[in-house]
Amino acid sequence: MSDRCQPTRATLGAYVDGELPPDDAAAIADHLTTCAHCSAEYQTVLDTIALTRTQLERFTAPDVLRARIRAALVTTPAEQEPAPERGADRNDARGSSRWARRMVLAAGLVLAAALGSGTTLLLRQQTEPPSIAAQVLSSHLRSLMPNHLTDVASNDQHNVKPWFNGRLDYSPTVPRFDDVGYPLIGGRVDYVGGRPVAVVVYGRRQHLINVFSWPSAGASEPLTATASNGYTMYRWRSGGIEHWVVSDVNAAELQTFAGMIQRGSP
Amino acid sequence: MWVPAALRQMSDGNKPQPTRVLQIVANSLLDRFEQRVVPLMDDAYTLARHLVRDEHEAQDIVQEAYLRAWRYFAGFRGGDERAWLLTIVRNCCYSWRRGKRGTEDVPYDDEAHSTDTTSRYAADARAIGESERGNLASALETLPAEFREVLVLREIEDFSYREIARVTGVPIGTVMSRLARARERLRRVLKQSA
Repeated sequence: MSDRCQPTRATLGAYVDGELPPDDAAAIADHLTTCAHCSAEYQTVLDTIALTRTQLERFTAPDVLRARIRAALVTTPAEQEPAPERGADRNDARGSSRWARRMVLAAGLVLAAALGSGTTLLLRQQTEPPSIAAQVLSSHLRSLMPNHLTDVASNDQHNVKPWFNGRLDYSPTVPRFDDVGYPLIGGRVDYVGGRPVAVVVYGRRQHLINVFSWPSAGASEPLTATASNGYTMYRWRSGGIEHWVVSDVNAAELQTFAGMIQRGSP
Repeated sequence: MWVPAALRQMSDGNKPQPTRVLQIVANSLLDRFEQRVVPLMDDAYTLARHLVRDEHEAQDIVQEAYLRAWRYFAGFRGGDERAWLLTIVRNCCYSWRRGKRGTEDVPYDDEAHSTDTTSRYAADARAIGESERGNLASALETLPAEFREVLVLREIEDFSYREIARVTGVPIGTVMSRLARARERLRRVLKQSA
């Protein structure tokens, strides 16, 4: 290495990244043709970058995350003042203006009210006790929030079914439909109508399906559908058990799925 | 302020006209969000996975980041949605790290690491020695988050130094030196395993 060798590895990296001013880049290109040492250094930097580019892992967001975010976007009202974005505020003078922040908050409030009005009313109406349908939908929406989906996460029915023992006064059926595109995700205990109920969770592409069941006296009732805010619910009663199936998959698919649950087989 | 008035009108339901206009505005905003921001979820998740290195925490962080992004979206004045979203994801990751440790996070001190001291090389050597498998993944594990984020933003997202500086909130010169140090560490691990 001669004394005239200017480029450090950082400079060579910037050179590879195309981040140097044209004059500097030209000077380095010149130098590399004549200096074996720097040329070898350059090759090393190039190799490292190439390897990092091919091996640095790219992750794919799981379908369940997509479903959760999609549901949360249309159902979560932006009521509370958003926490300030530290990095953004520091770097963006416009963002730090109090007025700008207030405008964003105001827009968020209006948006939330406009977007979430139906669901919000359904969930928040305090004057009369919410209907079973509203409670089931509310439970479904809550399940889409982080860490609320399952108490027992397992694709194995022999894990999920025993898990309910001792937690409930009855034993829900946990059929598997993985082969026909409805993977078992897990189960949880939730509260509907003032009593603990079993919820078995299935996936359908990027969507989630919650299957509620609890003992209920009364004659059997056939399958009926309710739709609300883009969610479909099917309910029926058979063998002294009340069933609700909730999801945002399309109604026809959900009906097919409800039929499978009724039969206990695809 | 005009907002409470507007909200009162809407909740009263007496004036369907403004509500309807707002609904249309809101829907077109949501459409835009779904077209421009939602498809960036793999980028958001990749950054979060590299920064917090826990699958479930990364998922929760990305969800939190998307909700924040959605709240801010009405005020987003255009520009690069990817850089904007990744800034929010990064901030959520650092908030999570602070909460996790229960103490104020000690930021990476570029000054303290900037000189060619023996201790710096000793630290590097120790870090490298720990990654005996010598592959890139284990080499990455020895790097501080400040190095991992510049690598992800440069080598996966293909951001310019200026964009990386904006997302990470440090000067361009710091981006350049962090990137060089991160590459230097990786290079030594890879050379060792070769």
